[in-house]
Amino acid sequence: MRLSKCLNNYYRQLISSICLLSVISLSSNVFANEANIEAKTTSRAWHNVEKRGTKQNVYFHAWGGDQQINNYIQWVADQVKKKYQINLYHVKLTDTSEAVSRVLAEKAADNHRNGQVDLVWINGANFASMAKYELLAADWAGELPNFELTNPINNPAMTRDFGVPTQGMEAPWGQAALTFYFDSLKVNDVPQTLPELLTWSKHHPGHFTYPKPPDFLGMSFLKYALIILNEQQPANIKEKLYQDATVESQAQLLPSLWQFLDKLHPTLWRQGKHFVSNGLALRRLMGDTELQVSFTFSAAEIPSAISRYDLPDSTRSYRMKDGSLSNIHFVAIPYNSPHIEGAKLVANFLLSPEAQSRKQKTAIWGDSSVLDLSQLTAAQKMLFDVPEKQHASANIINIDNTRLLGELHPSWVQVITEQWLTRYGVQ
Amino acid sequence: MKSPSTLTHNIPSLNISHLQLKQQGTPLLSLNEEVKGGEVLTIMGPSGSGKSTLLNWLVGMLPSDFTATGELYLNGQDITNTASHLRHIGLLYQDPLLFPHLTVAGNIAFAMPKGDKQTRRDEISEALNQVGLAGMEKRCPQHLSGGQQARVALLRVLLSKPKAILLDEPFSKLDSQLRQETRQLVFEQIQRYSLPAVMVTHDQSDAIAAQGKVITLDTLSLNEVAS
Amino acid sequence: MIVANTLFTRVVRNSPYLLIALLVVPVLGGLLGVLLPAFGWFPALGAHEFGLFGFVQLFQTPGIERMVLLSFGTSLASTLLAFIITILILASYFNSPWLKRIQRLLGPILVIPHAAAAIAIGFLITPSGFLSRLVSPWFTGWDTPPDWLLPHDPYGLSIIFGLTLKELPFLLLIALGVLAQPEIGKTLRAQHKVASSLGYCPMTGFFKVILPSLYGYMRLPLLAVLAYSSASVEIPLILGPNTPPTLAVAIMQWFSDVDLSLRIKASSGAILQILITLSLLGSWWLLELLVKKCSAAFLINGEREYGGMLIKRLTDMITIAMLTIIGLALVAMVLWSFAGFWSFPDILPQQLVSLHWSSALLQMQTPLFNTLVIAISTTLIAIALTLLVLEAEQQNTKTISAISGFIIYLPLLIPSIAFLFGIVWLFEQVNSQHAYVNVVFSHLLFVLPYVFLSLANSYRRLDPRFSSVAASLGVPPSKIFWKLKLPLLISPILIASALGLAISFSQYLPTLLSGAGRINTITTEAVTLANGASRRTSAVYALMQMLLPALFFILAWAVPKLLFRKKG
Repeated sequence: MRLSKCLNNYYRQLISSICLLSVISLSSNVFANEANIEAKTTSRAWHNVEKRGTKQNVYFHAWGGDQQINNYIQWVADQVKKKYQINLYHVKLTDTSEAVSRVLAEKAADNHRNGQVDLVWINGANFASMAKYELLAADWAGELPNFELTNPINNPAMTRDFGVPTQGMEAPWGQAALTFYFDSLKVNDVPQTLPELLTWSKHHPGHFTYPKPPDFLGMSFLKYALIILNEQQPANIKEKLYQDATVESQAQLLPSLWQFLDKLHPTLWRQGKHFVSNGLALRRLMGDTELQVSFTFSAAEIPSAISRYDLPDSTRSYRMKDGSLSNIHFVAIPYNSPHIEGAKLVANFLLSPEAQSRKQKTAIWGDSSVLDLSQLTAAQKMLFDVPEKQHASANIINIDNTRLLGELHPSWVQVITEQWLTRYGVQ
Repeated sequence: MKSPSTLTHNIPSLNISHLQLKQQGTPLLSLNEEVKGGEVLTIMGPSGSGKSTLLNWLVGMLPSDFTATGELYLNGQDITNTASHLRHIGLLYQDPLLFPHLTVAGNIAFAMPKGDKQTRRDEISEALNQVGLAGMEKRCPQHLSGGQQARVALLRVLLSKPKAILLDEPFSKLDSQLRQETRQLVFEQIQRYSLPAVMVTHDQSDAIAAQGKVITLDTLSLNEVAS
Repeated sequence: MIVANTLFTRVVRNSPYLLIALLVVPVLGGLLGVLLPAFGWFPALGAHEFGLFGFVQLFQTPGIERMVLLSFGTSLASTLLAFIITILILASYFNSPWLKRIQRLLGPILVIPHAAAAIAIGFLITPSGFLSRLVSPWFTGWDTPPDWLLPHDPYGLSIIFGLTLKELPFLLLIALGVLAQPEIGKTLRAQHKVASSLGYCPMTGFFKVILPSLYGYMRLPLLAVLAYSSASVEIPLILGPNTPPTLAVAIMQWFSDVDLSLRIKASSGAILQILITLSLLGSWWLLELLVKKCSAAFLINGEREYGGMLIKRLTDMITIAMLTIIGLALVAMVLWSFAGFWSFPDILPQQLVSLHWSSALLQMQTPLFNTLVIAISTTLIAIALTLLVLEAEQQNTKTISAISGFIIYLPLLIPSIAFLFGIVWLFEQVNSQHAYVNVVFSHLLFVLPYVFLSLANSYRRLDPRFSSVAASLGVPPSKIFWKLKLPLLISPILIASALGLAISFSQYLPTLLSGAGRINTITTEAVTLANGASRRTSAVYALMQMLLPALFFILAWAVPKLLFRKKG
């Protein structure tokens, strides 16, 4: 099954918002005041939402492949039950596209009011697809009081999904960056850049691989490689990665990727003749010690896997020196949900400092918060400060110097997938 | 009682020597008989007296809860412990048990030893002629009448060139007219091929027609009652 | 039979129609729901014209020939292999008590869901799996797992292995069931005795005399096995290649792809899948004819001995190998479910922990609940309906027509991937919101045939004279049914129930699709986890999948004993 679509949710464009944050924090007061005024006018509309949304059943369709995330969602369910008497049901997906299929089937059957999906964890190509077929409720994210805390005006990443404007159809939930990990007992010469990875794999054949497209994690590796391999190109050509893929730009940017892969594949696990279908399998293979270097978007899963004996104790994680692909993931509401208000209440809670700070804890999930700390009160900021006792692998090497790479335009996903399948899809 | 060593090899005979059959320790029957080629030994008795068990022992398929002591000699050879399929003892049941997936000719050919195709075909045709089933080579066994099936079954046994033949109530499913005819045919062939035969039956007329020794098994006592 | 017109008799009389409707409507409706998009009609995507572009896209997919060949080849090879081994076992152990023993040992595999079996085999043959640990490093010198390509090999050998192991007990049990029927079994054994008296060694006797007749009874189950394996999804998903996968797996992936225009290609693929299944059935029929023709002379050539000893030794080795593999797979799974750190190439884990079981048991409460509720509801309906239809047979004093008999097996013969998606579309049209009801309904399609198969023989063998005597005493048919027939049949009913439950436990695609993903069962969780990150958790779920049916079979066996012991 392809969890790629599910892992789509991990990706968001993080375009230099961290730099902007430090500038904006100086002028936070201005925005705070404006936010207060806005808060007063929207509070009546919001009050209606709260009134209608209490006691509703909200079906949250979200990827269920990670027990930590499932537990977190269960915690959210407990909280919204206490706060709004909402019954939140986590429908575990193997792949986000399942929810997309469902809403599509409902629309095909003229079911415009009674959909089964109330809230869906989504981003990237899945979002683009749902938006294209008009499957999502429009323009609601701005209504959420907590949306302001993400400082959307100064963090454009909060309203863009792989560069495509969200138009209020999605509310941000978290963000992630590509992190590598290795078995420190077996690996002495850890590859820290992409060219080093190729060299390492040549010297240690059969101990690295990536999931085949269209898996999300695999695609991310390919995107990362694509960006790095085209570093030396002039700026106007590199920019095309963030725009619609054209025949011309493909011819300019893709060949370096295929050349790299042609060199890499014979050194891979199974000599590149078989690729795992999803990213989770990589962790299993690391646990089986068939692989010695691997990567993930959810760095927090490593210490927790170690605690469950699914990875060797000697595992350590790090960020590549030449860059780390990163993105934001969102939640959206299908247009035919019968519980839109309840879904909005849940989405709002997901953006609360309480929920975001808990989500960021490594022991709980470790997914970075999307809140702009400058928008929070001192008390709210403290929630994010709690120190934790962690496994050595929770300290990501190179994290402070991470060079965050923004996501490519969604059109590149299909292009890369099709061509990869043509070249390597049939062995 | 002649001992096996005094038998000459060219007189076919089936010798049941000091057989004692026990069912889980309880004695069931004992027998000590020699049947010469062309003779029919008739075994009669109520159900439970061990007739079928005797037949099972003779073909080497004694069920596990029975034990037997004694020997069996066929034409001077000790076959007490020979495998069932190597004994060359033919069986004729009350059901013809023709193989439904083979034709009449096929059934008979199945029984014949390996050989040249044409020779076998001729033998089969001749045999069918002799029992009044001329031209029925390609018929399916299911489409034959009971009497016809019985005759084919008989041919099947005879053409396998057995050294002895056992009959397990072979005529009980035939009506009286057919019974007589078939019976006569069977005994004629037994004579012709000079086969020692043991027949188990309920019917007195069968015993009389066999013209051989008749042994009636009695469940109450172990002694045979000679007729 | 003349019966009074009571509520009971009316219900009974109409039950066959209900049965047929329940089976035919969803399957045909589902096919329709896939046929239309296959030819281009998919309004939700704006496609309103019929056309062949779905098929064009399908045949342009890279590797489509491989997918078709893989599906065709793996299912033919595995069915042939399973059949050959079955008859070898029957031939070698025909008159031996080993037959019963092997039946008892292999029988439980029947109810292990395909997903669990695939997971178990995966644990064995994967490079860091149990087999390689057993022989490393002392035999092979490996201290890191080798880079071999099992499972997921491109020729589908792992799939063939898994399918054969899973289908073999089924075929063996069917054959033994046929032989256990009084008339048939007695006749066949007597014929075998005749062959033996004619000089044929037992093995040759089996092949020349019993097999030709026995085959007729095994034909339909064989075709069902062939049809199922050509379109099965769990085993190829877990053990098969993915560059490219089998056609059924690819169709499933296209249906769930985020690119919605792939739906049309997927529907065309489903039609292609049906064609593949039909061609497999046709090929098998041709094979039959070929074998019949070639063996005609062979049957009557009088050859009595064909190296029977050699064949028997070979069969002994195969049987021992199979039983060993199954045993090792179980051991491997149990070890993994309790394993702490377990580095290669150690045979045993460095430490054993109960963490995986305790956390899994906590997580699996909802799936477990769902699994049981759905299975019990489905089985109750299936049993009730089957009993009513069988009673109708007796009331009408004739067995259901051959067509109806065939329709009962329809869901097993048509690839489920072909009509399940259409059923989802049907549910949408009917606006059926209740996921549980939808899932029970789709499970029913697969449980009914097995329950019917299991109960029919026992019901039909009931001595009709009991009912005649009771009727002559003035007892109405309903009372005869409840007070006479059912108590006599308590054991077969319980076994059929256990079987129905086991079938429902093992359903993957129906639960996934009809439940809109809202219903998690142990099986859906297990398949997700099989491709997931934790081998240990996956082991726990796979073992759970095996324990559930085992539990109910033990109950089915024990309850009658308790009941009858009480009666004294």
